[in-house]
Amino acid sequence: MSAILEFDQVTIRFGGLTAVSAVSMAVGSTELAGLIGPNGAGKTTVFNLTTGVYQPTEGKISFCGKDSDGLRPFELTRSGIARTFQNIRLFKSLSVLDNVRTAMQVHRTEGIWNALWRGGRFLKAEAQVEKQALELLSLFRLEALRDEVATSLSYGDQRRLEIVRALATQPKLLLLDEPAAGMNPTEKIELARLIREIRDRFQIAVLLVEHDMQLVMDLCERIHVLDHGNKIAEGTPAEIRRNPKVIEAYLGEEHALPG
Amino acid sequence: MKHPGARRWFLVAVVASLGLGWAQDRLDPYFVDILTRIGINVILAVSLNLINGHAGQFSLGHAGFMGVGAYTAAALTLFAGPKILPAGAGFWLQSAWFLVALLGAGLMAALAGLLVGAPSLRLKGDYLAIVTLGFGQIIAVIFRNIEWLGGALGLNGIPARTNLFWAFSAAALTIYVVTALVNSTYGRGFLATHDDEVAAESMGMNTTRYKIVAFVVGSFFAGIAGALSGHFTLTINPKGFDFNRSIEIVVMVIVGGMGRTVGVIIAAALLTLLPEGLRMLSGMSPSLKWVGESRPLLYAILLIALMLLRPQGLFTWKRKKAATA
Repeated sequence: MSAILEFDQVTIRFGGLTAVSAVSMAVGSTELAGLIGPNGAGKTTVFNLTTGVYQPTEGKISFCGKDSDGLRPFELTRSGIARTFQNIRLFKSLSVLDNVRTAMQVHRTEGIWNALWRGGRFLKAEAQVEKQALELLSLFRLEALRDEVATSLSYGDQRRLEIVRALATQPKLLLLDEPAAGMNPTEKIELARLIREIRDRFQIAVLLVEHDMQLVMDLCERIHVLDHGNKIAEGTPAEIRRNPKVIEAYLGEEHALPG
Repeated sequence: MKHPGARRWFLVAVVASLGLGWAQDRLDPYFVDILTRIGINVILAVSLNLINGHAGQFSLGHAGFMGVGAYTAAALTLFAGPKILPAGAGFWLQSAWFLVALLGAGLMAALAGLLVGAPSLRLKGDYLAIVTLGFGQIIAVIFRNIEWLGGALGLNGIPARTNLFWAFSAAALTIYVVTALVNSTYGRGFLATHDDEVAAESMGMNTTRYKIVAFVVGSFFAGIAGALSGHFTLTINPKGFDFNRSIEIVVMVIVGGMGRTVGVIIAAALLTLLPEGLRMLSGMSPSLKWVGESRPLLYAILLIALMLLRPQGLFTWKRKKAATA
């Protein structure tokens, strides 16, 4: 399996603080990968590096075999990276449908002049966008809420809408930052099913940060472990649960497998 | 707004304003005067609403861009016109030249918007407000110091070209452009930028570009409004485009509701009528005379009351539905 995302000895420092230190990792092109570690280990920083919010101090990040150095977040999104946020960041004043439609403009070429002229081709394209957005929403059973303001949705629905919005950019790699945070057990099971279905249906890579070990162990095919900015382990769920370093730094005895 | 109907509405509005312009001489001059000022204020408020309301970039310099347009257009009709147009040019030629002046005013203001916006739109909230405030002051100082533009006295004897047709068709164009922009897949990026810049960037939107486009388009129409205003009052001076004028426009947007075009149009009309109403009231009896002089006080009280009681603006409906009206 070829790698879609590669970190090569990536380091980032904020002043005196080294948030991520010489991390190397690779995510396969249709892999379900997990990123775990204690709070402050640098997981979200890895996401921010991947999406271009931060630029690495040292090392190289490549996406689809291309160096992503110096690209801004919107440029990386256009090349196929989409993400959700740890604290939900939907477009507050927009409707459910508009949140998705807005994200779909990534691959549209109609700009300001088409929007003003409103010719036949533009109207057809707009209708197409709406149709595709509704299709995506119905996959997640959110189409009935299309005209609600996004922030009036229940917490679980908001999290799912954020995933729909990310998918609307037609990503090759989907980054999920604590997708199960604040969900109850039933919702978590549903979420795991959903993430697997997304991968199977769209044939994309998923990298997720999550603290719910049950979910991570069930879902992920490969797990990377960070601690204090350093990568301390990588492997299949079974390998990770047997790794003494991981058990000590993060897992504790509860999720450990006897070595 | 339904997509296919938008262009038709715009054409209807232009034809209607053509009718108004034709009937103008038969209407009461006071009435025409107020209507024209409403038209100009609608242009200003709706275009500022694109910047402040839809794209969420708080600008306090709208009158500055208006001034750029007013001076550009006045220079074109007052100085360049007589040199370019043949002597004794008729109505149609004069009107065509006024159209050129309007467009020139819009373009110069848009250019000013680009020059101010490109470096400063990386700033947010209060910082941007201060930069645009500074721009407004600088523009006024510049005009005051350019001798051939009249200095502090300004320009007088500007030809009377603005009529109801120009004022209302320009207002219709402004409303059309802002609404059409915001109701498109492209234009929803303005709203997304407003709501959450980080998320918008992550969804593939070049937020810097959106902010600049909003600024440039908004300034373009402010310039046109300035041109119309100059050819309506027939005299312009730097004081007319100062901070107070900017605030007046900001108040219209806030009273109407940030990002609500319909509300902002109503607010622009009502706030143009308000001083007229106060003047009328104070003329009715000597005991009410103080009302006429209390406009600034009333404005201040109105604003404070509004912020406390209805911070989303007076004319906002359908909070539940999305904000793209």
